[in-house]
Amino acid sequence: MSGPDLAARFLENAAAAAAGAHSVSGTGDLLAALGRIVPTGSPVYCPGLTELEKAAAPLFPNRVADCAAAEVTVEEVFGAIAETGTLVCVSEGGRAVQAGLLPAHHVAIVRRDRIFATLDGLLAVVAAVPPTNVTLVTGPSRTADIELTLAIGVHGPERLDVIVVQPGVTFPYARP
Amino acid sequence: MSDAQTSLSFRSNAVQAIGNAQLRAAMRHATDTFGAKRADAFAPVADVEAMRDRASAIREEVLNNLPRYVDQFVASATRAGATVHRAKDAAVAREIIRKLLADRGARRIVKGKSMVSEEVDLNAHLEASGMEVVETDLGEYIIQLERETPSHIIVPAIHKNRQQVGKLFSERLGVPYSDDPQVLTRIARQVLREKFLSADAGISGANFAAADTGSLVLFTNEGNGRMVTTVPPLHVAILSIEKMIPSLADFPDFIRLLPRSATGQTMTSYVSVITGPRKPGDATGAKELHIVLLDNGRTEILGGESRDILKCIRCGACMNVCPVYRTVGGHAYGWTYPGPMGLILTTLLTGMAKSHPVVDASTLCGACVDVCPVRVPLVDIILQLRHRKVREGFSDPKEKAGMALFGKAAASPALFALGQRLAGWFWPVVRVLGGKDVAGRMPAPAKTPFHRKAP
Repeated sequence: MSGPDLAARFLENAAAAAAGAHSVSGTGDLLAALGRIVPTGSPVYCPGLTELEKAAAPLFPNRVADCAAAEVTVEEVFGAIAETGTLVCVSEGGRAVQAGLLPAHHVAIVRRDRIFATLDGLLAVVAAVPPTNVTLVTGPSRTADIELTLAIGVHGPERLDVIVVQPGVTFPYARP
Repeated sequence: MSDAQTSLSFRSNAVQAIGNAQLRAAMRHATDTFGAKRADAFAPVADVEAMRDRASAIREEVLNNLPRYVDQFVASATRAGATVHRAKDAAVAREIIRKLLADRGARRIVKGKSMVSEEVDLNAHLEASGMEVVETDLGEYIIQLERETPSHIIVPAIHKNRQQVGKLFSERLGVPYSDDPQVLTRIARQVLREKFLSADAGISGANFAAADTGSLVLFTNEGNGRMVTTVPPLHVAILSIEKMIPSLADFPDFIRLLPRSATGQTMTSYVSVITGPRKPGDATGAKELHIVLLDNGRTEILGGESRDILKCIRCGACMNVCPVYRTVGGHAYGWTYPGPMGLILTTLLTGMAKSHPVVDASTLCGACVDVCPVRVPLVDIILQLRHRKVREGFSDPKEKAGMALFGKAAASPALFALGQRLAGWFWPVVRVLGGKDVAGRMPAPAKTPFHRKAP
């Protein structure tokens, strides 16, 4: 399967899991999309570790250093899985995986060349030497513990947006 | 929980459950919904049978070499920085965890859903030494507030309706009454968020453990599992030894099968793979990770004729389709694990003497075998247990005598016809002899046998 098809399949499956699904080409488009997605003035956690995060950070005047104090997290994640519409968040590179857990709104940026076709593709990459934490995220936090009625936003985010970006710069924490 | 086991009174538990209209409505709704969602989730998957074969073969391989995989897991998890404790039974597991927490001065504990922790009755033990243990899975939180035990291994509060939960929250938490699940969920989020952020330690179970990397794998939809395992400084995981999978590379089929079988989801919201505690350079992870591997009779099961039950991955699909479970609910079984897989584990883990009535809690219809994602031969094992029950002298003498009599009568048409007539005359006596939970609930024999009505 080629790149654009993988991205389309990932976005379709992410949307089916109740995530907001967006696709942009280039940094300019990304910033415009973030401007639409992130409510103005919200306390935002954006770690600024990658090129894309560094580009995005100035958009948010109300940036906080602790994700527990943020209402929104904007971060670039390790990758995604097309088969299931899943984001792959890892602790590698000093990344706090709770950033995608504590705030009520998680905005995840994924580079198109970091989309794996299947679960097998991802696990083949991380299976040998897994980082401390690998979390596969599919849609917002949910429960059906009361009468099997779906409720969104239990302990994790009640809103999840995924943005697929065309590749342009080298991936900062790619594995050899 | 083991002290409060009520499996011996399964029949009267079941009679009570059958008389509870609210419970039966809740069970019917839940199991029907799960059944339909499961079917929908599997429908678009092309090679389900091949996937089940592969997953079953991996579980077989693990059981064939379980001690080796456990040793490998211990070595890998230790290398990754975790401390692994082996617990031969429930008492040892409880005490290891209590001591770990007490030595570190931990008093506020948050907990993710773990059936193994229910099996060893962990909460009561920790609470008895003055610790506050808060269940954080919404279903577990509800039953903890109600001081009940889970009635389903995936949705512990399946037996309650929204009005009951609304009433419980308003009474225990002092919030305005609502029976809207979204509102109730938000209330739980607020209360439990405080608990997560102030907890001294988190206790979780694990759905699987990867032997080659020493990783724990946890599936949670709510995100509480992620909180419990990454927010507090100390993480204690308790799991039973048969949760091993050789390698993380073996996981894709299990990730595809477990959520579809359990909740009818294509994918659980969060699948966490945790390998050791926080390492230098990490911004995430508990500073200390302790893993308690519980045996509690499993090594003995492994050496016996019913060992295939250890292939079970605890999806709960077998209970959702079981006509007995659907009718009586989970509490009637009287111990941690209900339904087909549950009655087998209950008998094997607590012993025939404490559990023999639940061996009868199956119609042997095989619906459970049809849905089991890892092909556990549940009906064969239940039959083995019934044979054992008879061999070990736990069958009801009246039932035995009745069956012997029936066997003789069924072999002779004349005797059978006589028996039919006698049954009609003596029915009032049979009702009394058979007890109110069995014969007392059966319809009286027809005045004219069916075969004589036939044209």
